[in-house]
Amino acid sequence: MGIADPGAPVLAVTDVHKRYSTGTYALRGVSLQVRPGSVHGLLGSNGAGKSTLIKILCGAQPATSGSLAWQGTSVDWSTPAQALGAGLAAVHQHTPLVDSLTVLDNVFLGMREGLRWDAPRRREELAALCDRIGYPLDPDLPIAEMSVGGRQMVAIVQALARKPTLLLLDEPTAALSPHEREILFTVVRRLRDQGTAFVYVSHFLDEVMELTDHLTVLRDGRVVLDSPTAATDQESLVTAVVGERLARLEDSAPPVTRSCGETLLRVERLESPGRFGPVSLEVHAGEVVGFAGLLGSGRSELLQAVFGADKRARGQVALADSGPLRNTPRARVRAGLALVPEDRNRQGLLADWEIWRNESLPYLGRASYAGALPRERDERSAAEVSVRDLGIMTGSVETPVGELSGGNAQKVVFGKWLYGPARVILLDEPTAGVDVGAKVDILRLIRRQAELGRGVLIVSSEFEELRSVCDRILVLRRGRLVAELVSASTDLHEITAYASGLAGPRTA
Amino acid sequence: MSTTSSAPSPSAATLLARRFSVRSAGVVYALILLVVVIATLSASQGRSGYLSSVNISNILDQTALIGILAIFMTVVLISGNFDLSVASTAALAGTVALKTIDGHGVVFAILAAVLVGALVGLMNAVLVQKVGVNAFIVTLGTLTAVRGVVEVILDGESITANTTTLLTMATHRWAMPTWLALVVAVALLAGGIAMVVRSSNRGRALGEWAVFLLAGLGLLLIALLRPLLLSQTVPTWLMIVLAVVTGALLRFTVIGRNLYAVGGNAEAARLSGIPVDVYKMGAFILNGAMAGVVGVLYAGRFNSVNPTVLTGGELTVIAAAVLGGTSLFGGSGYVGKSVVGALILFTLSNGFNVLNIGANYQNVVQGGVLVAAAALYTVTNQNERSKFRSRLKRSAIAPPAPEPPADAESAGSRVA
Repeated sequence: MGIADPGAPVLAVTDVHKRYSTGTYALRGVSLQVRPGSVHGLLGSNGAGKSTLIKILCGAQPATSGSLAWQGTSVDWSTPAQALGAGLAAVHQHTPLVDSLTVLDNVFLGMREGLRWDAPRRREELAALCDRIGYPLDPDLPIAEMSVGGRQMVAIVQALARKPTLLLLDEPTAALSPHEREILFTVVRRLRDQGTAFVYVSHFLDEVMELTDHLTVLRDGRVVLDSPTAATDQESLVTAVVGERLARLEDSAPPVTRSCGETLLRVERLESPGRFGPVSLEVHAGEVVGFAGLLGSGRSELLQAVFGADKRARGQVALADSGPLRNTPRARVRAGLALVPEDRNRQGLLADWEIWRNESLPYLGRASYAGALPRERDERSAAEVSVRDLGIMTGSVETPVGELSGGNAQKVVFGKWLYGPARVILLDEPTAGVDVGAKVDILRLIRRQAELGRGVLIVSSEFEELRSVCDRILVLRRGRLVAELVSASTDLHEITAYASGLAGPRTA
Repeated sequence: MSTTSSAPSPSAATLLARRFSVRSAGVVYALILLVVVIATLSASQGRSGYLSSVNISNILDQTALIGILAIFMTVVLISGNFDLSVASTAALAGTVALKTIDGHGVVFAILAAVLVGALVGLMNAVLVQKVGVNAFIVTLGTLTAVRGVVEVILDGESITANTTTLLTMATHRWAMPTWLALVVAVALLAGGIAMVVRSSNRGRALGEWAVFLLAGLGLLLIALLRPLLLSQTVPTWLMIVLAVVTGALLRFTVIGRNLYAVGGNAEAARLSGIPVDVYKMGAFILNGAMAGVVGVLYAGRFNSVNPTVLTGGELTVIAAAVLGGTSLFGGSGYVGKSVVGALILFTLSNGFNVLNIGANYQNVVQGGVLVAAAALYTVTNQNERSKFRSRLKRSAIAPPAPEPPADAESAGSRVA
C-alpha cells in the first residue's frame, strides 16, 4: 500500500522496441509507468526481454524506437551516468565493488565534489544514511571481508547515497540471508513511504507479491500483465510468467514410467554450510531425477558436492553397494560417478587440446597399455565413435575443442563420460548456451542413458525440459528440498510455484 | 541443426608445416643460426677451431648441469607452477655431499644430497599446494632461505673433500663405441619409419616422429663423420638420457598426459578425476631431488663449493625454459626444447670467448635474446589465440538471446 498516486509518473516507458544488430527482436512495444512512492515489480523469464528493458531504463543502451519520459520530460539517455545524474540509480546483481577498499570508500565511489576527499563529512553522510534506512554499516570494514549479502547491502547503500528519485533493484535478494532480506524489505518500504520510487526485478514471486504495489510481467518481449499487485493472485501470475503455450507442451507425453532398478546413488544429509543442505535423496538405475530451482537455490553446489568437488561438504554419498565415499572427485569417479559441469570451458574442457584428447581424459588408464601408456590409436577411434554417435559437427577428431560451437563442445564433455564405466551421471545445466538442434540431441542422449541402466541426476533452470526428460523432479529452494514431484503427474505451474516460494514445502 | 564448426581435417602438409614452424621449432632454428653465425665470424677471424669436436664437447659440458635443471624446471612449469629455488637447492645439496663424503662415503653423500633436495621440494610443495601461497613468492622465499642455510654451514669459506670420487664422476668421459652409436642410430631410424608406415595417417605420424628420425639421422652422421663427438662427460650423457626419458614419459604416458592437463586447466582436470594436488606437489619434489643430483655434480666439478656457488642460476634455468617455448602459465612445454634453450645460452657465452668479445657484452646480448624470444612466442601465440577467440564468438551467438543474462535464470518457458 503505497501513497495513492497523484499526478505524473516518475518514469514513463511508451511503446519501446529494441532490435539488435544480430537481428534479435528483444522488446516489441513495451509500455509501463512507475509512480512516485510505489514499488513496481518487473517479472519475466529468461529471454523475455527483462534484462534488455533494464539496460534501456538505466541508460546503458538506447531503444530502437519508442520513448522514455523522466518526470514528465522526454529523455534520451546514452550513458548510465546521465541516468544517474537525473536521479535514476540501479543496483545490479553483480554490482562491482572494490574489494580492497572500505565500505566508506565504496559507498561514495565515484562521487566527487571538488578535489578533496572529505572523510569526516562522508562519515556523517554515511551515518545519516544508515539511520534513515535503519541498517548500520561499519564504514571502515574492508569489502573483501564482507559476506555476499553484506556486499549487496553496501551496493544498495551506494545507490541510495546518490539520493535517487527512482531506485532499480535487479534480483537483490538472491544473495541475501532471510534476515538481510527482511531488512531490505523494511528499507524499501520506509523509503517508499518517503516518496522514493522502486523498480523491483525478481524471480521470487512470493516476494514480489509481498513487497510490490504494482507489477508488470514481460514475456516474449511484450507486456502480458500490468496491474496493481492486489488485483492479481499467484495462479494468474504464474500463468503470465510461464505462458499459455505451456498447455501444449504439457500435453506432450511425459516419459513412460519405466520400472526402475536398484538404488544406484544414495545421498544422506549432504550439506555445505552457507550454500545448501541438509539434503537426502536416492537415484535408481534407469531413472532420471531432476533438480528444479531458481538462482540461489544451491542446485549446482549440491551437484558438485555429490561429485566430491566441494571440500566443505559434509554428509554421506554412496554408490550402489559401496560405503560412504571419500570427498574427492577422484574417489567418486572411480566409484562410478560422472559430472558434466555447468561451465564447460572453465570446468570441463582444455581448449587447446583436440577432441580425442579431451574425451579420453577421465578414463585414460583404461585406454592404455598396462594402465600407463595411452594407446592413441584407440583414443582416436573412440573419439570418432562418439563424434558419429553424438552428432558432433566437426571435420575431424583432431580439432581443438576451443574451435567448436557451444553445442558441440558440450557434446564433447558428454563424450568424456558416456562410454566409460560411469553408473550415475550428474548433469549441470546440460543445455545451457546450446542451440536448439543440439539441445534436442542432448535430451535424447539423456534418456538413452537411463535406458542403458544408468542413473541420471540433472540440474536445469528450464523446467519444461526437466519435465520432458525426468521421472522425478526435486524442487530446491534456498538450499532445501521443498518438494518431490512425479514428472508425469505435475505441471509447470506447480514446479514454478514450489521453486518460487508460492507453495509451501511438501514431499510427494 | 547444430552450427558447423571447424575446418576439415588438417592435411599432412599442414601438420608437418605446423610441426616445423617457427612457433614450434623456432628454438632449434635459432640455435642452428647462432652456430652458423659464430662459426662464420670465427672463421673469418682466422680462428678455425669453433666447430671442432673439442669445442662442441666443451659447450655441451658447460650446458649439462643447467640443462638438467631446465628439464625438471620445465616439468614444474608444465604443471602450472614456478620454482625459483632450484639453484640454491643445488648449492645446498652440493654442500651436504661434500661435507659428508669423507666421513660416510660416496653413497651416503649422494643420497643425503638428493634427500635434502627432495625435502626442499616438499617444503615448496606443501606451501604452494596445501597452504595456498603463490608459487613465485614461496620459491623466492626458499631461494633466499636455502641460500642462507648454505652460508650458515659454510660460514664464509669454501670447503673441499679429500675423497675425489665426486670429482671423478663429474669429469669422467665416456666414449660411446662407434658400433653402439650405429646400432642406436639405425634402431631410431627403423623405429621411426616403422611408426610412420604403420600409422593410419602417415602425414601426421611423420610430424610426430620427425624428432626420432632426425635424432637417428644425426647420430648416424656423427658416428660416421665425427666419432670424437661420441666422447662426452658424464653430466652431458646424464642430460641427454634424462631429456630423452623425461620427454618420453611426458609424451607417452598417462602421467605425462595428466600433468599437462593439470597445468592446462586444473579445475577441469580435477573434475575429470585427476588428483591435482599429487601432480603439482610431485613436480616440486622431483625438481628438488634432481636439483640435488645437479648439486652433487656441481660440487664434483672442482671438488669444492663456496657460499656463492650457482648464485643466479635459477634465472638462467628459467631463461632456458622460456627460450624453449615453455608457457609460464602451465599446460605446455617440451623438455627437449628447454635443453636447446640452455644450449643457446651457453653457445652464446662460448661464442663470446671464441670471438674474443668482452665479457661485459654477454649479459646485454643474453638478456636481449631472452626478451626477443619471449616476444616472438607471445606474438605468434596471440595470433592463434585471437583466432580462437573470434571463432568462439561467432559460434557462441546462439539465437535468439542476444546476450546471456547475468546469471538470470527462472522458471518457465524460453523464447523459442
